[in-house]
Amino acid sequence: MATLSLSSRPLTFLRPNRAKPPLHRLLRPKPLASSSASALTPPTPRPDPTDTPDPTPLFLRPACHPAPAAALAAFRRRAAALVPPSAPHLHRHLRWLLSDAAAADPSSDPALLRAPLDDLEAMWAHHVRGRRPFQYVVGNEHWRDLVVAVREGVLIPRPETEAVVDMVTKVEGFADGWWADLGTGSGAIAVAVARELGADGRVFAVDVSEVAVEVATLNVQRYGVQGKVEIRHGSWFEPLQDVKGKLMGVISNPPYIPTDDLPGLQPEVGWHEPKLALDGGKEGLEHLLHLCEGLSSVLKPGGFFVFETNGNKQSEFLVDLISTKWSSSFHNVEAVLDFAEIKRFVTGYRR
Amino acid sequence: MARALLLRVARYPPLPASSALPQPRLLPLRRHAPSPLRFGPFALPPSSSASTSSDAPSDGGGGRTGGEDGAGTGARVDYLGMSDEELMEQCEMGTFKASGPGGQHRNKRESAVRLKHRPTGIIAQAVEDRSQHMNRASALSRLRTLIALKVRRPINLEDYTPPVELLQILPLKSTVRGKDVGPQIGPNNSKFSPGMQALLDLLFAVEGSVSDAAKILGLSTGALSRLILSDDSLRTAANELRASKGLKPLR
Repeated sequence: MATLSLSSRPLTFLRPNRAKPPLHRLLRPKPLASSSASALTPPTPRPDPTDTPDPTPLFLRPACHPAPAAALAAFRRRAAALVPPSAPHLHRHLRWLLSDAAAADPSSDPALLRAPLDDLEAMWAHHVRGRRPFQYVVGNEHWRDLVVAVREGVLIPRPETEAVVDMVTKVEGFADGWWADLGTGSGAIAVAVARELGADGRVFAVDVSEVAVEVATLNVQRYGVQGKVEIRHGSWFEPLQDVKGKLMGVISNPPYIPTDDLPGLQPEVGWHEPKLALDGGKEGLEHLLHLCEGLSSVLKPGGFFVFETNGNKQSEFLVDLISTKWSSSFHNVEAVLDFAEIKRFVTGYRR
Repeated sequence: MARALLLRVARYPPLPASSALPQPRLLPLRRHAPSPLRFGPFALPPSSSASTSSDAPSDGGGGRTGGEDGAGTGARVDYLGMSDEELMEQCEMGTFKASGPGGQHRNKRESAVRLKHRPTGIIAQAVEDRSQHMNRASALSRLRTLIALKVRRPINLEDYTPPVELLQILPLKSTVRGKDVGPQIGPNNSKFSPGMQALLDLLFAVEGSVSDAAKILGLSTGALSRLILSDDSLRTAANELRASKGLKPLR
């Protein structure tokens, strides 16, 4: 009897595991490589599960899918039931998803939606179950007073970075200067800056990623600033040879996360956002140092620069470096706090 | 390492030099108060964050008066006449402080803003917008409303003439309202707040008596009551004022 029960138990025990490989994978010991990752981090970054066929951001699609009010209400209930009341931000996301999906008059019955309800349902599941960033799901991020189109392959602009635009517009001679936004990504900074520029002002928005160039082009067009923003494909200063020494300012939010920290990132970031836009190499300083080195040759005398950094230590290090090693080239180099009182930015002027 | 001490540190958005952030003293709050708010990194009151229909706290912005350093002492200062920039200069801005390193590390579309107006201690917050920039604007506009509702400026009834911002919110039939004042401004107009503040100042000066205030404003008591009842926050403030004078609430 004892042997019989022993032999039958493992069978019933194993079967459901085989049927559900994800659970099975979770039960296996972690591979060595991720031994430093936190418990919340999966062993390996997953490929994105989504691949919606339509890359157009939801809010820009035509509202041509009628949905009866009752069906919409039922979707809302089902979607809300997937997230606990203790996650108010997810309930906000649901509201924003629906507001992006609905045409101007959401009270009409049937409501006209920009995607079939089934698609919305799948999008919602990708967000709450697959940890796909909400911004990629709906294809935009509200940033400053802009609605910036984003998709996989470009960094989602962060609220901290909003302050960069205010710093830049306060620089004397801002409006008619030539500016460079290096590693423009979605083009958020470039567009916001361009909207404040005067008639002679220009922004050169540079990115090495082709997806970024595409997305930035879309955002530039959406805000009608084609006349002021010139998007250039290439790495950092490389495509700026012709404007050397002529720039009023250089702005950059380069990848600054130390490579060693990448495995510990929250899934929305680590699994879904481009490593190209996050990975700052050793100590996160690789690209920042490259930018510092190239600064003096592109800026005109009196020109301004602002870089976003990983915060406190990195900013302190850079301020220290620039004001000692390159003190003959720069002055008023300082670390600037973000809204969370982290020394997030390094700014200064070319002598 | 010593060099680090010499670093120049600026703040964005800029705050005045005396920015050793004082912890607001939280006094017992009158109405159903949510859990105490901390300044700087703060937790939203559960009453608003648990809401799925709207994040706007029901009193129109989670405004709380800080008490002692608070409303009433700002006499004769026309805060509402200030530009957004000037008003912002007087505020400490608190936001959700990321517990971690923030920036590229984090995807959390929490862009709540909490403004504390230093001279009055009034606090306004906004969380429902999708960008921090917009939440700041919403919080600032709520701050204006809350200042109008809570900051009372003394009036000398002997030689009182209603200021133009008050005339602008009065119905056209008011006999003290000249033709040049223009159309009546309603609660959805940003110019309503200064008028509301002046109206409450007057109501305060006449000890909460709507009929006395109505006489001064060239209106029937009924017409002024209707104006007060037309806006929820104005009605609430007027009734609190009346209650403090032992009068029955307007309905």
